[in-house]
Order: sequence, then structure tokens, then C-alpha cells
Amino acid sequence: MIPTLTTDRLTLRAPRLEDFDAYAAFYADPDATRFIGGPRDTRAAWRSFAADTGHWHLKGFGWWIVAAAGRVLGSIGLHHPPSQPDLELGWLLFPAAQGQGYATEAASAARAWGRAELRPARLVSYIDAGNAASIRLAERLGAVREAARAAHDPDCFVYRHPGAP
Amino acid sequence: MIPTLTTKRLTLRGPAPRDWPGYCAFITSDRARYAGGVSTTPQAWRAFCIVLAHWPLRGFGMWAVTRTGDDTCLGFVGHWFPEGWAEREVGWILWPEAEGRGIGREAALAARRQAYGVLGWDTAVSYIHPANRRSRALAERLGAGIDTGARHNFDSPDVLVYRHPGPEGAA
Repeated sequence: MIPTLTTDRLTLRAPRLEDFDAYAAFYADPDATRFIGGPRDTRAAWRSFAADTGHWHLKGFGWWIVAAAGRVLGSIGLHHPPSQPDLELGWLLFPAAQGQGYATEAASAARAWGRAELRPARLVSYIDAGNAASIRLAERLGAVREAARAAHDPDCFVYRHPGAP
Repeated sequence: MIPTLTTKRLTLRGPAPRDWPGYCAFITSDRARYAGGVSTTPQAWRAFCIVLAHWPLRGFGMWAVTRTGDDTCLGFVGHWFPEGWAEREVGWILWPEAEGRGIGREAALAARRQAYGVLGWDTAVSYIHPANRRSRALAERLGAGIDTGARHNFDSPDVLVYRHPGPEGAA
């Protein structure tokens, strides 16, 4: 039910229990997760991992695990909890996988799937104003910062993704 | 992929998006004070996602309890083992309108049989807040007793560990 997407170097696939240790280790790192609600202890990381997985079963879209050559690199997804006005493209990439264009590659694939399957009127990424790496990624993806901050989280800018693929 | 269980009156099926309104009403009400605490709607939504994800991640989880022939969800009963739980749990939450009719007991017995049968568990616990008299009464009707020697990892030290009869002794 959860589709698998493949790119030149990456596989985006359904989360599995064996991915959790790497995910929890990432969320235990205060530097890597300071702009995305971390650090989180193992229990809180589980709730986040499971909630992102369950999103698929509730909404028909959600978060993939990004993997290359069997190694888990992060997670990326389409996300629309009731607290957020717009459909969001979100990403987290483990530090060891950063700086190699993986996030751009994975986000492009996830965005293309989301546009084709969900046809959203608006697709945004909510990004903490201090999260320079994530802002750079949004800009590389062609997203444009809107004037107003996110209504549900004033720490965050709203980057709107362009409408055309 | 999620097995359906049937009892004399009930059908236990996989939880589904259509069960959200009832779950949200319960978990954002004062009734949830002993079931992880009263949630806001965004917290409830996240918790509901976790209920749905428990099945694919663990291979077992909570069922939506329905009366056979009426798909309306009356509560969630089944197996619960998130990160941080010391042991695998047989758990239940019933919406208020379903209380007092033996539905919780009937569903929990089916879930426990599944745990000892298909899932091969050799023991099961239920974690219950000491002030949750209704839930404690159900645990006792199921033959479970307080296991004072069992540890748990909850922040609240008061949480009671009810130990169910083992596979040999359970109904």
C-alpha cells in the first residue's frame, strides 16, 4: 500500500521496525535535531516514527524511509496533520548523509509523487527560520518564502513549492 | 493483513480512518485521563496515527471493537507494545456508550486468546492507573491480579501492573 519510489541513487520505501534504531539515534542528537523538535528520547522518537508511519494508513500518504545500498539516510514525507493549514513536504536527513545531494534527490521524487497523486492546490514546507541547511534545500527545490510565518508555528517560515512539476 | 476476530456478539477488525471521530471524542475528553491523559485534537490525531502504525511495525496491535453486523467502532481493544513499555500489554479503551455491557471483557478475552495462541505470548500484562476503578474491575474479571514484583517504565510510579493468567490458566 505504501509505494516505493526509486531515484538514481536512492530508494524511498515504507518505514520498518528495523529502521527505528537509526531514527532514534538521530533524534537523540541535539545539534542535528534542534530545528525539528529534538532532541527526543527513545520513547518520544518512537511516537514520532510511528505517527509518521501511521499517517499513510490514515491519509493515504505519509513519510518514506530514504535508503541507499541498504543504509538508512533519513526520512521524507508528505504530511498534513489537522494543525497545519497546508499539505507539507518535510524532510530529515541524518548528518552522515548530508552534503551529497541526497535530500534534493529524495525531495524531488517525493514532491513529484505528491503532485501526481494528491494534486494539492498548495504544497509548502514549514522551516524553522534558523535552519539554514533546510532553507537552502527549499530554495534549490524552487520553493519561495511567503511573507507570513507559519500560523501554527511562528518560528517557521512558509516555503511554497512551485505549482508546475 | 490484520486478522479479524469474532466472538459471540462482537467483531474485532483492524482500526481504520473512519474510527477517528469516536477516538478523537474519547481521547480529548476527561475519560482519557487514565489512558495516557487528555489530549488536544492535534495530539489525538498523532496518537491515532500511532494506533494505525502499531500493526505494520509490530505485527500486532489494537482492534476496533464492533457489534457484529454494525461496523460502528465502540472502542479499541488489543495488544500494545510501543517503545518504552516493559512488557507487551493487553489493553482496552471503550467509548462511554459501550460501557457496562460486558463488551470490554468479551473483546479482551478474544484478544488474550489471540496473544497466547497465534502470537505465542507466554504472559501478558495490563497497565492501569490505580484510580481507574472501571478498568481495574475489568482486569479482575479477566482473572488478572496485581503483580507487585513487575517493573514498568512509566514516569508515574503508581501505575499498577496487572498480570493475566498464563496460557494454561486463561479462558
